[in-house]
Amino acid sequence: MKNYQVLEHTADIGIRVKASSLECLFKNAGLAITDISAEKQKTQYPQKHKIVITQKADNIEELFVNWLNELLSVSSAEALIFEDIRISQITENFIDAIAVGSDIRNYKVNVEIKAAAYHQLKVQKSGSLWQAEVIFDL
Amino acid sequence: MISKEKMPDHIQLEKIDDYRWRIPKSYKQGMRVPGLIYASEKLLESIYPVRDTVSEVPGGCLRQPISNGVYKDKALEQVANVAFLPGIVNNSLAMPDIHWGYGMPIGGVAATDIENEGVVGAGLVGYDINCGVRLVKTNLQYEDVKDKIENLVNRLFSDVPAGVGSEGNIRVGTKEEKEILLKGARWAVEKGFGTEDDLECTEENGAIQGADSEVVSERAFQRGRAQSGTLGSGNHFLEVQVIDQLYDREACDTLGLNLGQVMVMIHSGSRGFGYQICEDYARKMVESLSKYKINVPDRQLACVPVNSSDGKAYLGAMRCAANYAWANRQCLMHLCRQAFEKIFGSSWQKLGMFLIYDLAHNIAKIEKHEVNGEMKNLCVHRKGATRAFGPGSPAIPERYRKIGQPVIIPGDMGRNSYLLVGTQKAMQETFGSCCHGAGRLKSRTAASKSISSDMLLKELRSKGIIAKASGRNTLAEEAPEAYKDVNEVVDVVHNAGIGKRVCRMRPLGVIKG
Repeated sequence: MKNYQVLEHTADIGIRVKASSLECLFKNAGLAITDISAEKQKTQYPQKHKIVITQKADNIEELFVNWLNELLSVSSAEALIFEDIRISQITENFIDAIAVGSDIRNYKVNVEIKAAAYHQLKVQKSGSLWQAEVIFDL
Repeated sequence: MISKEKMPDHIQLEKIDDYRWRIPKSYKQGMRVPGLIYASEKLLESIYPVRDTVSEVPGGCLRQPISNGVYKDKALEQVANVAFLPGIVNNSLAMPDIHWGYGMPIGGVAATDIENEGVVGAGLVGYDINCGVRLVKTNLQYEDVKDKIENLVNRLFSDVPAGVGSEGNIRVGTKEEKEILLKGARWAVEKGFGTEDDLECTEENGAIQGADSEVVSERAFQRGRAQSGTLGSGNHFLEVQVIDQLYDREACDTLGLNLGQVMVMIHSGSRGFGYQICEDYARKMVESLSKYKINVPDRQLACVPVNSSDGKAYLGAMRCAANYAWANRQCLMHLCRQAFEKIFGSSWQKLGMFLIYDLAHNIAKIEKHEVNGEMKNLCVHRKGATRAFGPGSPAIPERYRKIGQPVIIPGDMGRNSYLLVGTQKAMQETFGSCCHGAGRLKSRTAASKSISSDMLLKELRSKGIIAKASGRNTLAEEAPEAYKDVNEVVDVVHNAGIGKRVCRMRPLGVIKG
């Protein structure tokens, strides 16, 4: 079962992510990028690459967008597809994580996500549940 | 600061004439100018479903939306939001291919007065800076290619790197990459990938002045290095087309175009290099909103004064990406010319593969336009819109000055594309701007659900169109029914007078990323 829901958008694609903790929310949204854009093929390049990702922002929503954009940017610059995310520290203004990437050549990439946008961005806590919505530019 | 005010829950559109609609300034507190939308009743329905009846109001007809203004497509709301920009003049404009973007609608044009608080925004240009299109003519006729189209498409597909993760055969180092950012398409020409003539037929001669590689992040360089000469994915494409309708004999003669002539259209942008520049600066602009006391209803519209150091830095970096894109499309055209040479066994010069024009779809440019009878220096943002300067403009090649700037309008892969020219009316009404394509109608997921890629391939083949795509779902996501009918879009700009039809093409071969 997917850890996110697709939101309809005329030109691009939106996602809604729900999680019981901020850590899971950020992890699930980060891994949604891989799920949307790529499918695993035969593993020809087995080496895993661990990338440290640290981001800060004035508020939780901007932190969320910065985090997703950093994942997209590193993924493109290093030609990696992220398969796992380990978050070591997270607050509403700071995240420190390790993203574990596999060589892009192990994947068939079907769609290129250019960036995560601020438009209609939401990160909220309702009761014990965190929920985020974001639109990706395709 | 972001406005937290509750927004009204529906838009009241005033009909000006059959092709123009206004969102009054009174619609939302904070709008500095009205919204002006170019559309027919039919095109408007896709973004604004209305009841059957319209009531008369002073200044035109008032359109009342159904279902209390709860629409899936937020494009018109975005037109109103853009009207909040400091220094915006005349109108927040929307072309008939308008659809929901992120921040500014796709098909939006906004000009700000740079001597009067005018702003520039990274989100107003978008991630794919200088995403644009170029049109190449050939001296081949349909009869010459009809039996070779499959071979040609296969050759183009193998020789032009497309899709995500594809790397160009044209590899560059850091020093050379910096050169591309300043020289744009000229860099490619100096490498032997084209001619001076190509540069003359490219907006800004393929290199906008004022690019500053010192304000570009290392990450952007890293992302750009491997992608020169790559097409990209999504709606980026390469098409072999044939002219099937002429509208303006004089313009066709000037451009050397005739019925049955084979053309090549290339749609691509600045790839990861441009995305990174937009992201770097959009982030800075969001963080600077309070510094400049700018109030916009959507963070994606975050902007800074054009004359501030932040504004100048963004424009310097954005111009680097614009030049990267022009170099990229020049390289792509070179690869196309080589593919044609292999299939037809003749040089591209003998095949008459000369560039008609290349123009940008996503860009901010400093231009002089008349505002309330006075010439002003404006920062014109075109987001999914093209420049369309009229006859006589010194900014267009001398050879086209009599007819106006060529305006290339790609449609979807099953219907048509158009060549238009810019008009004086566009100079007066739209800061010399026109539409950029058909405009999306359906989301990618909705398009994929309505047809499979295999079915679509068969359907296209039955119409004589051979298509190939790199992404698994790209064809279905880009299916003709996912787009508005480009014929209707072009009818609107032609009849509204902001573009003039020259000729129409239909696709023969399609390569998608």
